[in-house]
Amino acid sequence: MAARRPFTDTDTADEAVRATCDDATICKRYATSKGYWKDPYIQYFVRSVGERKAPEINRGYYARVQGVDHLLDAFIKKAECDCQVINLGAGLDTTFWRLKDKNLMPRKFFEVDFPTVVARKIHNIKTKPPLSKPLIETHSTDSLLLDAHSLDSDRYCIIGADLRDISSLDEKLKKFQLNPELPTLLLSECVLVYMTPSQSSNVVHWAAETFHTAMFINYEQVNMSDRFGQVMIENLQRRQCTLAGVEACQSLDSQKERFLKTGWQHADALDMITVYSMLPQEDMARIESLEFLDERELLQQLLQHYSICWATKDRLNLGLSQLAF
Amino acid sequence: MLLSVGRIVIIGFQCIYFGLVNKYFIATKKDYENAIKYYSEALEVNPTNAVYYSNRSLAYLRTECYGYALADATKALEIDKNYIKGYYRRATSNMALGKFKAALKDYETVVRVRPNDKDAKMKYQECNKIVKRKAFERAIASDEIKKSVVDSLDIESMTIEDDYEGPQLEDGKVTLKFMKEMMDWFKDQKKLHRKCAYQILVQVKDLLSKLPSLVEITLKETEKITICGDTHGQYYDLLNIFQLNGLPSETNPYLFNGDFVDRGSFSLEVIVTLFGFKLLYPDHFYLLRGNHETDNMNQMYGFEGEIKAKYTAQMFQLFSEVFQWLPLAQCINSKVLVMHGGLFSEDGVTLEDLRKIERNRQPPDSGPMCDLLWSDPQPQNGRSVSKRGVSCQFGPDVTERFLEQNKLDFVVRSHEVKAEGYEVTHSGKCITVFSAPNYCDQMGNKGAYIHLRGSDLKPEFHQFTAVPHPNVKPMAYANTLMQMGMM
Repeated sequence: MAARRPFTDTDTADEAVRATCDDATICKRYATSKGYWKDPYIQYFVRSVGERKAPEINRGYYARVQGVDHLLDAFIKKAECDCQVINLGAGLDTTFWRLKDKNLMPRKFFEVDFPTVVARKIHNIKTKPPLSKPLIETHSTDSLLLDAHSLDSDRYCIIGADLRDISSLDEKLKKFQLNPELPTLLLSECVLVYMTPSQSSNVVHWAAETFHTAMFINYEQVNMSDRFGQVMIENLQRRQCTLAGVEACQSLDSQKERFLKTGWQHADALDMITVYSMLPQEDMARIESLEFLDERELLQQLLQHYSICWATKDRLNLGLSQLAF
Repeated sequence: MLLSVGRIVIIGFQCIYFGLVNKYFIATKKDYENAIKYYSEALEVNPTNAVYYSNRSLAYLRTECYGYALADATKALEIDKNYIKGYYRRATSNMALGKFKAALKDYETVVRVRPNDKDAKMKYQECNKIVKRKAFERAIASDEIKKSVVDSLDIESMTIEDDYEGPQLEDGKVTLKFMKEMMDWFKDQKKLHRKCAYQILVQVKDLLSKLPSLVEITLKETEKITICGDTHGQYYDLLNIFQLNGLPSETNPYLFNGDFVDRGSFSLEVIVTLFGFKLLYPDHFYLLRGNHETDNMNQMYGFEGEIKAKYTAQMFQLFSEVFQWLPLAQCINSKVLVMHGGLFSEDGVTLEDLRKIERNRQPPDSGPMCDLLWSDPQPQNGRSVSKRGVSCQFGPDVTERFLEQNKLDFVVRSHEVKAEGYEVTHSGKCITVFSAPNYCDQMGNKGAYIHLRGSDLKPEFHQFTAVPHPNVKPMAYANTLMQMGMM
């Protein structure tokens, strides 16, 4: 048995990054419990609703979830479901189950995250019928391929991997029938920012190289060089959470650049204030009346420091670059 | 003497007596009093007889000693939990005491065990009706005059344990020594004894209730005052203000312009410190109500949770009552008007109108009291719908007209976070001051306070930055911006 290697700084940093999975899930759990949007599956990943969250956090997550889902669904519709989705750093996300309910499933839905996160998710899926049933229903045989850090079925696959080891990731995905010929949507939400610029560059470059018709949606921080951004960086640092890739988060332009210079044809980016204003206003009016916001400035600042960037390449000429809000 | 005659004799008398009471039902009060006496004697001899307790309970009911009746019924049930009459008696006692919910529970038990007992069922239904009616009344009553927590407190009999090493009032009074000790105690994150907290709250409630809704003060030529804006539970930043600008005193007066609590992790420490100074220097230390000194805000933004966690719901209730008595505006030398929010949704509001506001309530959804706590200035003329969804936004022309009509020079307000800690708008006629730096541990803003001298009434701005504080989560609210953003 190998000697236990010492716990390094990277381990601490990774641990802190993994913890953000809980932050996001807990916040989404609370927001859905207040009625911001419907997610009947998240309770199987986090049972208790937990402590009250600030209204601006709830609204922020609402904008994030609606924004990302809008683009994701638009892509799948454009490809007429003849496509793949790869959620990088998926955490305890419930999109697969949402798409199944909506009858908008891609040919296969892949999720990738750290092995410990994946192991947790697999455990939840295995032990909660509302999560496992949809998988089994969409699988051709009676048994799923299952081990400690991966689960594979016909339509859903989850893999434990380190996104900084791209070749290993590529190998694993191909092992589970990733088809580079299919139009593919890649999604990363607050993932690339935790890697160094070169590591994240490798990821987006690999994606551009591997798929000829694809879209990459990246949700994360932006406009980080102002005071609010600096304070956020400091606060996260105090939690041992390092935004190693914050360089690409300077502006909307820098977010687009990272795609355009690694082989993507087209890139768009919007800050969340803009996305917030472009979401269906009727539903927006509904959620704004759920909780009272005592201070608008906080929400404005928060939304201004997050963005959705989406990049496309379109050999099949599906019209991907037209997908927008 | 009956007792000396022996046990059986007493019981004998008992039975005869009880027979009289039950069968003929034309007993007088005196009869019941006698019954009580005899049952008591019987119980001395036979203390574990549930029936005696139950019967004595009835006698107590008839003589309107409801507390005793309840005690006896409870005792009867302690001895014999299957004694149905005991539940009946207890329910009746509770009804008499107005404890309808408790009574309902016992009636339920009786009905369950004796489903054919018509009387039990009727009593149950009656009680249920009352419970429902009271719940409905509570639900529809919004700002009805409620009974004050003060009336149900017995502060005198609260004892401070020997091992409490914290600050205590001296002869029931706040002194400078007490304040200094308390501020240090809080700084070390220690808890003030609830007796002291209650003493302060009761005294400050009394003090505030005697103030008008519009406080009017005069600064002499040689005097100055420091006006601070929102502090929002940022205790360590409050200490910093006192460090930079000196502790409050008769020669160093302060006005804190609302929003003392919520959002920050140390709302309790902030508010008790401010209340303490109000008691110590009532004519040189001023507090105005902010929109966060209200139940709705406290429920959502942390203060209620914090008090419930550190003390009790009852203490929060008392805070709520005290907040209702905070004055709404302050006029300095008849020239400068200070309020937390801003000016009004309609023209024509006068200082006299403000004096007349009956403020001992939660703010209404509209009107001058609401505007004072909620409105914001805007750059353009006229008024607009507020981005906050309540009250309005008012332009420079509104400010101009108001000042002219009331012969004032400018207004000072707070309510909005500003990057520099303050902002001068409406050509100097509307000033915002905000004293919570790095608001929510995330905004990175400066805090500021204003010096106003009696000699010229020209505002002088002083800025300051945030100081470190212990990493404590606010009670009902994760300090979410600091901790997460949106991971």
